[in-house]
Amino acid sequence: MVSVTIDEQTLEVEAGSTVLQAAERLGIEIPTFCYLKRLPALASCRMCLVEIEGQRRLQPSCATAVTDGMVVRTNTPLIDETRSSMLDMLLANHPLDCPICDKGGECELQDQVMAYGPRESRFRDAKRVFHSADIRLSPVIIMNVNRCIQCQRCVRMCEDVVGAVALGTIEKGMDTAVTGFEGSLASCDQCGNCVEVCPVGALMSFPYRYKARPWDLVETDTVCPHCGTGCQLTVGARKGEFMRVRSKWEHGVNRETLCVRGRFGLDFVGSRDRIKRPMIRRDGALVPVSWDVAGDYLRRRLSAVESKAAGGLASPRLPNEVLYQFQKLMRTVFRTNNIDCSSRWSTPFETLGPLVAGFYTRAPLEEVIGNDCVLVVGGNVTDENPVTEYLLRDAARRRQTTLIMLSARPSRLDADARAVVRVAPGAEAASLAAVAAALVAGAGQNSVGEVIADIDATTGGPAATTGSDGPDRLAALLLKGRSVTVLVSADLLRLSEARATLQQLTNLLRVLRVLGKGPAMQFLFDRANQLGAWDMGVLPAVLPGLRPVGDHAARTALIRAWGAEIPPEPGADLDAMLALCDKGRVGALYIVGSDPLMTYPDRGFVKRALDATDLLIVQDTFLTDTVGLADVVLPAAGYGEESGTFTNNEGRIQAVRKFREPAFEARGNLAILDFVAALRNQAMQPSMQGEIFREIARLVPAYQGLTQDGLGADGAFTKAAPGPPAGAFFASPPAPNAADRLMLVTGNCLFHNGYLSERSEILNTVADDPYVEMSAWDAAQLCLSDRDQVVVRSAQGELRAQLKVNRHFPPGLVFVPENYRDLRLNSLMRRGEYPCPVEVQKAHAAFATGVGARPESRGQGIAELPGSSP
Amino acid sequence: MNMREKIEAAAARYPDQRSAIMPALLIAQKDHGHLPGPVLEEVADILGVERIWVYELATFYTLFHTEPVGLFHLQLCDNLSCMLRRSEDLLRHLETVLGIEKGGTTPDGLFTLSTVECLGACEMAPVMQVGDDYHGDLDIARIDALLDRLRATAGQATGAADLAAAAPPGE
Amino acid sequence: MFEPVLLRNMDVPDGHLLATYEAGGGYQALAKALREHTPDEIVDLVKQSNLRGRGGAGFPTGMKWSFVPKRAGKPKYLCCNADEGEPGTFKDRIIMERDPHQLIEGMAISAYAIGAETAYVYIRGEYVLAIRRLEQAIAEAHEKGYLGTRILGSDFSFVVHIHCGAGAYICGEETAMLDSLEGKRAQPRLKPPFPAVEGLYASPTAINNVETLACVPHILARGPDWFRGIGPDKSPGPKLYCLSGQVRKPGLYELPMGIPLRELVEDHAGGPPPGRKIKAVIPGGVSAPLIPECGLDVGMDFDSLAAAGSMLGSAGVIVIDDSTCMVKVATRIIEFFHHESCGKCTPCREGLNWVVKVLRRVEAGQGAPGDLEQLEALCKGIFGNSFCALGDGAAMGLKAALAHFEHEFVAHIEEQRCPFH
Ligand SMILES: Cc1cc2nc3c(=O)[nH]c(=O)nc-3n(C[C@H](O)[C@H](O)[C@H](O)COP(=O)(O)O)c2cc1C
Ligand code: SF4
Ligand code: FES
Repeated sequence: MVSVTIDEQTLEVEAGSTVLQAAERLGIEIPTFCYLKRLPALASCRMCLVEIEGQRRLQPSCATAVTDGMVVRTNTPLIDETRSSMLDMLLANHPLDCPICDKGGECELQDQVMAYGPRESRFRDAKRVFHSADIRLSPVIIMNVNRCIQCQRCVRMCEDVVGAVALGTIEKGMDTAVTGFEGSLASCDQCGNCVEVCPVGALMSFPYRYKARPWDLVETDTVCPHCGTGCQLTVGARKGEFMRVRSKWEHGVNRETLCVRGRFGLDFVGSRDRIKRPMIRRDGALVPVSWDVAGDYLRRRLSAVESKAAGGLASPRLPNEVLYQFQKLMRTVFRTNNIDCSSRWSTPFETLGPLVAGFYTRAPLEEVIGNDCVLVVGGNVTDENPVTEYLLRDAARRRQTTLIMLSARPSRLDADARAVVRVAPGAEAASLAAVAAALVAGAGQNSVGEVIADIDATTGGPAATTGSDGPDRLAALLLKGRSVTVLVSADLLRLSEARATLQQLTNLLRVLRVLGKGPAMQFLFDRANQLGAWDMGVLPAVLPGLRPVGDHAARTALIRAWGAEIPPEPGADLDAMLALCDKGRVGALYIVGSDPLMTYPDRGFVKRALDATDLLIVQDTFLTDTVGLADVVLPAAGYGEESGTFTNNEGRIQAVRKFREPAFEARGNLAILDFVAALRNQAMQPSMQGEIFREIARLVPAYQGLTQDGLGADGAFTKAAPGPPAGAFFASPPAPNAADRLMLVTGNCLFHNGYLSERSEILNTVADDPYVEMSAWDAAQLCLSDRDQVVVRSAQGELRAQLKVNRHFPPGLVFVPENYRDLRLNSLMRRGEYPCPVEVQKAHAAFATGVGARPESRGQGIAELPGSSP
Repeated sequence: MNMREKIEAAAARYPDQRSAIMPALLIAQKDHGHLPGPVLEEVADILGVERIWVYELATFYTLFHTEPVGLFHLQLCDNLSCMLRRSEDLLRHLETVLGIEKGGTTPDGLFTLSTVECLGACEMAPVMQVGDDYHGDLDIARIDALLDRLRATAGQATGAADLAAAAPPGE
Repeated sequence: MFEPVLLRNMDVPDGHLLATYEAGGGYQALAKALREHTPDEIVDLVKQSNLRGRGGAGFPTGMKWSFVPKRAGKPKYLCCNADEGEPGTFKDRIIMERDPHQLIEGMAISAYAIGAETAYVYIRGEYVLAIRRLEQAIAEAHEKGYLGTRILGSDFSFVVHIHCGAGAYICGEETAMLDSLEGKRAQPRLKPPFPAVEGLYASPTAINNVETLACVPHILARGPDWFRGIGPDKSPGPKLYCLSGQVRKPGLYELPMGIPLRELVEDHAGGPPPGRKIKAVIPGGVSAPLIPECGLDVGMDFDSLAAAGSMLGSAGVIVIDDSTCMVKVATRIIEFFHHESCGKCTPCREGLNWVVKVLRRVEAGQGAPGDLEQLEALCKGIFGNSFCALGDGAAMGLKAALAHFEHEFVAHIEEQRCPFH
């Protein structure tokens, strides 16, 4: 600690703190422009100059480290004059077109001139004008170079934080201008973080352009609906109409950054693709009806199938309260544990449960990746969880965290990693086993002999081999680390080997724990409330709080609290439910906010199963493919139309707030669940969001004691009680077969991660067309080149799209993003088989444009939708 | 050596490919005369660096030209020492005889006329650099003689390829 | 008559060839350094010589080297600053064109002293002949084993690469040079960390001017006492002076440090052109504030010029006679800085642009009352507040012109024309 005196106040600060930080602690305001908390100091704007005793010149407080006994002054006439002089100079060439500037009213330059500026400028000469018109750098980013004050926040944000390196600075001196390569940002991430950090109206959001004045906006702090990172954002609406998204430094895991989906992908709330009225199937076609008519119809149909099995599927993007209420409804009203929350994979909870219970670390990501070694397993964090990726990059670059990547898909973060282990898709389990074995071998027998022997015995020791030295290198780095964090992509759950992968992950974490690495673990979910959905018990084998259905104490407690019976046996997961449907054994299948026909492997199978279901109830906001097969369609409030909470990947529970009224005849999800229960002559008690939250806080252990008021701006952390891992180590998986075929995997791309993003007009304008990605090596083997139209064919089906050759891809891997409806990717997949073996070839010339003829036409089953036409 | 080989050889001098952007641009400009977008992309590709980095440098440094320049680039120093020795008169003379303004290129594409900051040859002020060569102690007569010589060099060449070959000696 | 040291091979035919250099005892100093001295001893010798940097700032060279950590766990670098962009300066070019081996030998000894195995010579791209000569000299030195691995049978290995600049004055500023070498836009870096600790590629780096490095072999060969015996003790040595402008015999002169400016201009360079009188002299490149005729009796060394309110800088001595309009001189100087401002910091980028606009107007006879006050205020806003010394240099230059020749500015504004036309 060192002591510093600023404006006569003395304070102790940590060595290495800057004068600016020390002043902030004292509540002394020092104006800045180029300074941005998460970036290294640039010290170029010279607004923050202060007097330091013993120094000839004024010093930039943002970049000057405090030394013991330093005496600083920020309130002298010289400093007033200097600040005013800097502002005067900045204004000399500034266009002062505040009335037509989007930033007017929330502009840092305006504010600082108000506070420190010259009241009058002496500048009488002609101003410099770069361009008379603004430059459209990309579909979403527009630049007014004349207003730029050269703080370089945007460029540094783009390179240092986002890692995109799309923005740069050209020319020099007075001609200096921020722009993209040859004046275009066509190939950037479009995350708009540059726009967010621009202190003036130089970089602007095109979609928001000239739309509103900031003081006309009603702003609502809420949480992004896209991925599980759970970024905080602020929605600006005018007269109930969505206008824009901004973000704030003070709040959330994301600290002012967002990805393209968060910043530009919320316009889906206004999508025309809404279900406007309830619909029921009449003479084979869906027809819009009133809620009353739908209710009567549904009551009749429900009682007709009462004796048969029921099942429910709800989206991991719904708020906790809705999910909690949904499983309660299924268990108590439909009297079934057939509940699931993923339409894309099965969740082997008997393996996942202990892993989550034993290792899931509910703590801020920033803290978790403060460990000196971070291993990221699976997926592509750059595309799936961009803001998490920013934090990882920052840790690797600025905190010297050792970053290790183990995955089939390459990502941009690989460039910042100390080691990258590329595994064949499907061989993740074997690789993890090899890492654990290498750790055991590397650790020697010294301190942990017995356990090691135990591991050796059960896993078969270093027998697990993947034929590469990757696992050894990786283990060596893990051994060097003092503390280790493992971040796991939920993508691993897609694998047919998911169970084995989770087992080996458990082994690895146990070994790390034995070795004293205090491992922290979090999942990287691609759905906003996936962890919440698990916590709420939207799974066939567990009750709320992730307690097995067979846990007698837990079940009785819930039965008492709910005043209703809960079936004692675990239920069927989605796959098993669909199989039951297929056999004609399911009466009512209740799907909320989910589109399995689009996403569950083997579209043909899903269609057959849904067709064979007696009563398919779909409650959704948008017209999905699954809606087209429903018997009853219930229009639900969408994101932003009801309040609730999400639990993000960190285990942080945050308020998701309403910023508009449900459109058309849509009703809140809770109200609809109530409505359905009433049709069965039951009442859901409690039924209001706030009360349900309180019930969750009472009955779900990790949520115990939370209050909605207590969530505050930054949310609150749910608390897990990690149980000691029990039982023996899992045996090694069989060595994977070396695949001699191309293997297709899927996942999210940067611009899309589900059917919400696909309904964002803005995202659609910036996203690439549907594409197929493969390595340069494979492409060369197949005589294919970048941008060729190709056909991807599996045993089940085929699709056509444009080829993207990626020189970072490993041979053998083919990637098609899962979120392009028109591709019908799931029609290529087979249940239980992932990755999917495929062939790729050049599309026949006749098909060379766009997506070819589709096997079935979309929206089939919807005869006529007067309620949904624009 | 082709351009790629020359660039790769230059890059071998540095531990980091990014350092080689400047030498690569000098090489590319020698090959192409100037540095249009596709050339910048090629340089980025060869070095495996971000395109924007290449673009930044191509515009920061005055010796790089993203727009075409004439066969002979007349770069007259107008900094203080040359100014004190009347380089302004030479500029006016050049503008008159070439029929262009400073910054312009003659319609035949032979000459581009620019003024530049100090060439570091003030002992022979006023100075003009043409291609690789410095011409010092200039006056109007010497300028005229120089222009004649340059025109003659160009005149000996016929086709475009020859014209390029007639460019001032370089590497 | 002062016996030339740095320029001794200037007029020798083929002075740039290795054979000529060797014939004059070239590379003996390197051999001696490797044979007889540890690196630390060389740093000490240079410290004892009181050699101060010839690039402009006059920082003691030995002391700079002693900041380079002994064990760094990283490669160390030597960077030779051959960017020579300071208007009025041409000494480094002439050394490289006519006696490049002198520089190479100096670099080899310096690299040995700090433990660097790689050097980059950052030469401005316009210096095509110098670049060719230096390339050729490097190749020759390699061939003869003065560069390369295990030089002259010692354990010391060292290579020199040339990096061509591309026309940006700011690259002469040492940290901007490092960014430029790393392939970035050349903009000055924050200090600390200082380059000696964290320079090129975040490794310890010594940066020295061509002339500074060229002094090193002579210090080794003749000893620090000899060097200190030339000129003032605190700022000693042979010195290259670049004479240009309105003077009869412009050219490069080698004379002792501390020689009176008047003697340099009037005796050695022949004084102003016939019928003219000296009005002012810029003693150290345009960054150095001008000195009016009455102040010419100052000694040409770092300390004397600083005391006189100017600086030795790069010793680019520009002579201005009484036919010249000082508003025009000031305008041209500020235009230069404005053009060469890297654009990083507010006062230099924006302030100089403003200054240029006002100066151009005043010079064109469109000045208005209040313009001079505005210029003074801008100088105040820029000086001391810019990120690097470029902005400071510009403001100091303008301040000096305003202080000494206010009457010319006033005349322009009052008469609404230039009295010199
Ligand atoms: C704007 C600016 C331009 C400079 N230009 C040069 C230059 O062209 N050559 C040079 O040697 N030093 C130049 N310098 C000084 C260098 O920053 C540095 O002090 C010098 O290279 C150190 O070498 P020395 O200690 O041998 O003088 C410049 C400094 C500034 C602030
Ligand atoms: S003073 Fe500022 S703008 Fe000027 S050259 Fe230095 S850093 Fe760049
Ligand atoms: S001022 Fe022209 S060469 Fe120096």
